[in-house]
Amino acid sequence: MMAFTACSNSAPDPGVRVGLITPGSIADAAWNSGAYAGLQRIRDSLGLAISHVEARTPAEQDEALRAYASQGYDLVFAHGFEFQGAAERVSAQYPTTAIVVTSGSRTQGNVSPLIFKLEDASYLAGMVAGGLTRSGILGFVGGIELPPIKAAYEGWVNGARAVNPKIQTREIYLNSFDDAAAGREAALALVRIGVDMFHHNADAAALGLFQAAKESPGVYVFGANADQSSLAPERVPGSAVIDLPRALLLVAKAVKAGSFTPKVEVFGLASGVVRYEPNPALAALVPPALEERVRAAADSIAAGTLVPAARPASMQARKREAPRALSSALALDAAQSHRGHGGRRSTPVMVASSEFSAPLW
Amino acid sequence: MAARTPLLAILLGLAVLAGGLQLAGYDAAAALTSLWRGAFGSWYAFSSATLVRAVPLIVVGLGIALAFRGGALNIGAEGQFYAGAIAATWVGLHVAGRPAVVAVTAVLVAALLAGAAWVLVPIWLKLRFGVLEVISTLLLNFVAESLVSLVVQGPLQEAQGIYPQSDPIAEVARLPLLPGTRLHAGLALALIGAAALWYVVARTLWGFRLSAVGAGPRAAEISGRIDARRVTAVALLGSGAVAGLAGGIEVSGVSYALFQNLSPGYGFTAIAVALLARLHPLGVVAAGMLFGALEAGAGAMQREAGVPAVTVYVVEAVVIMVVLLADTGARRAVGARVAA
Repeated sequence: MMAFTACSNSAPDPGVRVGLITPGSIADAAWNSGAYAGLQRIRDSLGLAISHVEARTPAEQDEALRAYASQGYDLVFAHGFEFQGAAERVSAQYPTTAIVVTSGSRTQGNVSPLIFKLEDASYLAGMVAGGLTRSGILGFVGGIELPPIKAAYEGWVNGARAVNPKIQTREIYLNSFDDAAAGREAALALVRIGVDMFHHNADAAALGLFQAAKESPGVYVFGANADQSSLAPERVPGSAVIDLPRALLLVAKAVKAGSFTPKVEVFGLASGVVRYEPNPALAALVPPALEERVRAAADSIAAGTLVPAARPASMQARKREAPRALSSALALDAAQSHRGHGGRRSTPVMVASSEFSAPLW
Repeated sequence: MAARTPLLAILLGLAVLAGGLQLAGYDAAAALTSLWRGAFGSWYAFSSATLVRAVPLIVVGLGIALAFRGGALNIGAEGQFYAGAIAATWVGLHVAGRPAVVAVTAVLVAALLAGAAWVLVPIWLKLRFGVLEVISTLLLNFVAESLVSLVVQGPLQEAQGIYPQSDPIAEVARLPLLPGTRLHAGLALALIGAAALWYVVARTLWGFRLSAVGAGPRAAEISGRIDARRVTAVALLGSGAVAGLAGGIEVSGVSYALFQNLSPGYGFTAIAVALLARLHPLGVVAAGMLFGALEAGAGAMQREAGVPAVTVYVVEAVVIMVVLLADTGARRAVGARVAA
């Protein structure tokens, strides 16, 4: 340890350095590839030194965080909720490195989360799917049943039911973000019971979903986390996009300018970082009236008058002590289009007004 | 057999990696430099990356070596590892307030017992119905992985009930760390285990019986009057216990909590480790460190040179194939001499 510190002190100052640790392959065309694109943009437009490493297990994630922090990196993106615990432990030892946990839960020392309300965009995708479906059955394939993923699912369902209250839905969780074969099998199983509109949040595993759609006539998939139209141009009417490059760039800019302070940053539809991206090649599929309704809903969500899905307040809240009255009021608000889903969970929801309309750094 | 075969295999593996990187347009020299630096470049890298990664490989590798020596092909170390991790986490969450020695011992013993329990079914199936342990232990891996998913979303889920992981285990249940590093006392356990296994296989009657059964169970029964089934069963049981212990060490020394992806496939990589060591317990230590170094270096290679870390598996694969080919070749040569 001593020897190591001495060694890194003797090296010339390399300027601001930014590291990215992804929990999976950057070839997933979604969550991880988006972050990597952001890292490249940080290098290209801010001129900062960058580094990326993939770390799948808790042991590897801890090792990678420590490696960057001990080398004096200024900013490290730990790309997923699973880094929260390790980030807090490492930050206690290396407080000068800003660690940003995407989808993290709370600020602690120099650790801060970026929270993406993908459900805002999934709601809009759900509206389009609800208008397009012939069978009236929608499917969702998730990686692991995590709060942001469940929220995206509920946004998708609520959006569809806002258009057609009789919509039925099916969901499958794969317990994997990598297993494309499992993604394909899950999708084919759902196609067999009549699902014709899919949405997902399963990163690389979802590549199998696009494959299944290509094999099944009349089946469409709505992309997630990135604009995935190119994966199956004939079968992707649109994508619920997190503009990860833009979000990461905003953080890096603040760090470079020295104005970064750890805080919970929430990105929803209003921020422009989360958005619904229609596929121009399939624009003719969506009737103008539906398109108009989607646009109106987008405005309401951005304005905060429409809550696509209730979210548990994992951020900042200590164990189970978020204010009950507030949460039930918001749950009621969100339940107007829920129909059987609103009452399923009574956990506190994230307060909509905590969303900054624009990043404030 | 030449002891230098593994060394040549490693050099060949690195040469293949360097050639491949050069062809793919990377700076091979820079990549290999980073690989070296990440594994051995500093005391911190060696202790906190290489050795920390080596510990589970060594411990599981010892378990594999024990089973394979007795002719029992335990492919289920991954599942036994997870069984140990589950038990260790459960105990670790309930020992707050106890003395650290008691807490850590309880955690590790629980892991040991759980690993042994996980292999009981394959042993019973083998003795009672002659079911091949290759199949039964392998299939139980999937059961164990699903069980981990179940418990981290059920009884062992963290208190908020949101994320698929357990709460951190009690401070007293954690293995002591070497100051300034991530290296935990699991390394000492691994080395003691290796020495103990070496003593058993090389210096005891039971160790001799184990090797005899491994070399030919029928011959051992007929000419040595050895109860081969019993020896195999004990070897499998010990193997499962050791793999389970590795799961406990990983929870107690590194992750401090149970996660679905706790193991990057230690149970399978350790088979390669044991084979590379030719099932020799002290060789397992060296082979485990080699693989730990390669994988630690791979991380640095990706961080510093932008080379995907998975490319290092090429080296591991080449090493294994060369060693296996050399062994097969040597056996053929011996066979030919005997026949002549």
